[in-house]
Amino acid sequence: MAQIQKWWLRYGWQLGLVCVGIYFALMLRLQHSMVISEVYEFFSRPFQVSRPELLENARIQELQYRITELENQNAKLQQILNLPQSKINSTQWAPIIGRSGDAWWQEVLIGKGKNQGISIGDLVEGEGGLVGRVINVGESSSQVLLISDSSSQVGIMVSRSRVMGILRGKNQGTGIVEFFVRDGDVKTGDIVVTSPMSSLFPPGIPVGKVRSVDINKQPAPEAVVEFLAPLGLLEYVRVSKL
Amino acid sequence: MIWRTLFYVLGTVGGLGICILLLPSRLPGTTLVGYGTNWLLIWLVGWSLHRPVPIAVGAGICLGLLQDSLVLPPDAGIFPSHSLGLALSGGLTAMLQKQRYMQEDFISVALIVFGMAVITETVNALQRSFIGMEVVQVWSDHQRIALSSAVLTSLWSPACYFPLSQLRHWFYRSTKKLTQN
Repeated sequence: MAQIQKWWLRYGWQLGLVCVGIYFALMLRLQHSMVISEVYEFFSRPFQVSRPELLENARIQELQYRITELENQNAKLQQILNLPQSKINSTQWAPIIGRSGDAWWQEVLIGKGKNQGISIGDLVEGEGGLVGRVINVGESSSQVLLISDSSSQVGIMVSRSRVMGILRGKNQGTGIVEFFVRDGDVKTGDIVVTSPMSSLFPPGIPVGKVRSVDINKQPAPEAVVEFLAPLGLLEYVRVSKL
Repeated sequence: MIWRTLFYVLGTVGGLGICILLLPSRLPGTTLVGYGTNWLLIWLVGWSLHRPVPIAVGAGICLGLLQDSLVLPPDAGIFPSHSLGLALSGGLTAMLQKQRYMQEDFISVALIVFGMAVITETVNALQRSFIGMEVVQVWSDHQRIALSSAVLTSLWSPACYFPLSQLRHWFYRSTKKLTQN
């Protein structure tokens, strides 16, 4: 008894501190709070480089004008054919301020949140193609699950032959596609885009390039896909509302 | 005395705060093959070395929940949680010190951190296998993650451990002086 009392006197306050800590941590976790990201965003603000020249680069602007022109033409043609329109409403650029807080999840933190009109489920693209999806938002920071995460699933389509499948992340640079059909026409070098069947992403966004195909894989053929966007090197991403 | 204790507690908790904020950052030199340093683990090992096992385990659970709230998507369940791995690491570290296997210096702390990083990542991999993620993929990731995390985290351990241990030494030296007077 005396020993317990001695232990209590010596370590009681530390035990109390730890219990209070657990309580607050549990509250943060259960409310899916973004407090830590918010504080991180606050402290990292002075180090965020704003790079307007990234968007003002003449070559990029020229390409963007051309894309706009082609997209407009495409929309007209789709209208004529009575195809369903893609539903993107507004886009904005956001800086990447942090990466995942552990080695198992493939995520990034971006420096814009609710205050700038970002909401859960928004589409995130980078230079090159699809990057991921917003899964949690704070006041001025948001959490993005990358397509390279093993829990992320994207419905995709091979652009050349219109064969469809599901893409899961493997590691930072590659993902694995499982195709729905046994004898799909897929070759190394084919470009993979999001499929019209996908409920999370609008159709036609470039995702990656087929690096190798395993036709004999059971139960369905598999392909390894290289992501077009350099997920580890990105500094800016484009967030679009769906 | 109260001010000293307050300064000590604030310093230690502040150190923890810095460690948490370092987690999503990828400062130059703190990454290896794309993976970052596990700063929370270094703080936990430093804290657990002089503490009884239950307190070290509690601290591990607390840190794990904090890391969960930073990393896990909102629609993920309670598992895979970082709490299990960190609680085990904290408890084992506290036990090591009790058995007097380990001295308190940079090399031993770096060694403990190396071992605990491997244990933490193994527990994470086990959890991922149990909740039904693809086992082959998880364990091939585990090899890479455990090794790079262990090397990197143990290399950075003095940077985090040194200031905290100095703070602790200063606190206990000054309280001893006060009680002697």
